[in-house]
Amino acid sequence: MSEVLKAFERSDGRWGLRNHVLVLPLHSALSATARKIADDSLGAVAVSHDWSGEVDGDFDRIVKTFSGFAANPNNYATLFITIGTPNELGIIELAKTLGLSKFEVLNVAELGSMGKVYEVGLALANSLVKQARLASRVNAPWSAIKLGQECGGSDALSGITANPALGVASDRLVDLGASSVLGETTEILGAEHLLAARAITPEIGSQIIETVARYERSINYEGIDMRGAQPSRGNIEGGLTTLEEKSLGAAKKAGNAMFSGVLEYADQVSSPGLYFMDTPGHDIEQLTGYGAAGINIVVFTTGRGTPTGSAIIPTIKVATNTTMADAIPDLIDLNAGTIADGLNMLADVGSDLFDLILAVANGGETKAEKGLHHEFSLSRMYNTVIR
Amino acid sequence: MSMQGFDHGNRGIGVRDHQLILPSVVCSTRVSNRIAKETGAITFAHQHGCGIIGNDVGGITEFFAALANHPNVGSTLIVGLGCETLQGNELAEILLAKNRSTNYLVTQESGGVQGTVNSGVKAAQELRNKYQTFAAPLSRLHLGIDLSSENSNLSEVVATLTEVGVAVTVSNSHKNSGLNFSELMEAGVHVILSFPDESQPASGFPLIPTINVASKSALHTALSGDFDLVSDATVEAIVAKIYSVFNGELTKVEAIGAGEIIANREVRSV
Repeated sequence: MSEVLKAFERSDGRWGLRNHVLVLPLHSALSATARKIADDSLGAVAVSHDWSGEVDGDFDRIVKTFSGFAANPNNYATLFITIGTPNELGIIELAKTLGLSKFEVLNVAELGSMGKVYEVGLALANSLVKQARLASRVNAPWSAIKLGQECGGSDALSGITANPALGVASDRLVDLGASSVLGETTEILGAEHLLAARAITPEIGSQIIETVARYERSINYEGIDMRGAQPSRGNIEGGLTTLEEKSLGAAKKAGNAMFSGVLEYADQVSSPGLYFMDTPGHDIEQLTGYGAAGINIVVFTTGRGTPTGSAIIPTIKVATNTTMADAIPDLIDLNAGTIADGLNMLADVGSDLFDLILAVANGGETKAEKGLHHEFSLSRMYNTVIR
Repeated sequence: MSMQGFDHGNRGIGVRDHQLILPSVVCSTRVSNRIAKETGAITFAHQHGCGIIGNDVGGITEFFAALANHPNVGSTLIVGLGCETLQGNELAEILLAKNRSTNYLVTQESGGVQGTVNSGVKAAQELRNKYQTFAAPLSRLHLGIDLSSENSNLSEVVATLTEVGVAVTVSNSHKNSGLNFSELMEAGVHVILSFPDESQPASGFPLIPTINVASKSALHTALSGDFDLVSDATVEAIVAKIYSVFNGELTKVEAIGAGEIIANREVRSV
């Protein structure tokens, strides 16, 4: 197949692989109206969340998440719905510094009621969707691709089939000049020394080790041994025995490339190369953080099968085993289980996945996109009891 | 005086006859939404059910069990994914011990998204009973009050209601109405009277009709269209609205289907 990437060029030089109109409520009470606008529109998307303006230990993390998500290059435009508080308006200002150029703001306090917000919002969303449809893709460099790696519902084959296949595709993309990001700190616990050895500088290696250690300290501080909760019950049923085993398999997603840096949750991915980002293993908190980081395409390997996706990021599902891929075909875009079946070589499946990433980057729809799976979760570090 | 009620068996008497499609994990929210759309049931998105550890496993399980056992609910269909921390079948077992009108489905065992939607619609229809309405005496009803901000009429409203036998629970633990709503839901209240903080908009809880009373703040004045009662509503007007909502009148947030679930969490997700 032809290896030409075509994408939407943004005014600040970033590249979108989609041209979404995102309806983003900046307060939980506005979520239902945002959903209704998107559902009734010509093709806008929306997310729901449970943040009601709390200013607590998680405030900065939440502001960073919303502003980054709004500014993701896959958005043609973002339609904010706000009650107009300074903190909510601050999110919009921060999004502008992250590259958001096209947006509209619907202030509930100015419009007087949710009913009016719906009416005005629907008209605006439809007008933006029509404008977005006029934009066309142009030839883009490989650096336009910012790939997020994810795994969820891992099983005993994850580290043998789907994850190393993703590693093959990731290595090829990194060689070509794309960005690729490994996340899920929970799931490299026990494998961090192997990743650190692949850092381009000793400092970056130390950062990888310290990020994992910091994570384990924060969980131990709660008086809980995370090693008792991971691998999850679903992983154990899938044949995984220990967290280390899970981690060694999870790390395979990152291939063999060298790590060019360590990113905090939702930090912008702004340079080519392979990175490690400190994210939770929780699939949707991770996916949301990737969206906030400007990642514009995700490959999600799964052993047990999961339907989830993002409102704005195409999410490619790769099955680790043929049994599951056959049982729940409407969730899976590519079956890497053929490696374990002895039907395909790892390099061939990795190459198929590379081709699929390119096809999806060029506009091919994933199963999660077809099914309108638009999950969104805020990642919080602190308890909510004190809110 | 009596109100239109629904006899929901072990769940108690409800003032609404909701069927709940309960996603036991964030990954099932879309499937639940599709089932609910086809059957006219209620569902909601949330971010819980997986990556939870410590006390949150028990806490979130109890929270979901309280939702599924709420008196305004006639039947509950739990939709799980399969590999999550909070297992749908275990939640279902807790519920089934009390209410037979409960069922559960698992996407990973039901042929994927479409398969689960198909089975879910069928299961939901089978669960749905036609509950007879009956005249529920006020002494069987329970009002929750979210006191995120003070209101001078409060004590008189409470006195008027308790005098006729309505149980009243006040929650003011948080400035955040959403967390107060969750506490009131766990207490089994039928209707919530909410006095949101001056800086917060009107909001609601999916299964429980929520009456929003405005304050005199600039935000509430600007958003007057979203409140059921104005800031200077009299005691009589407030009590009359409560009775009317007990009797079936939709509140403003209920009418637009608003209401996000906010659940307490002790520990970050792993």
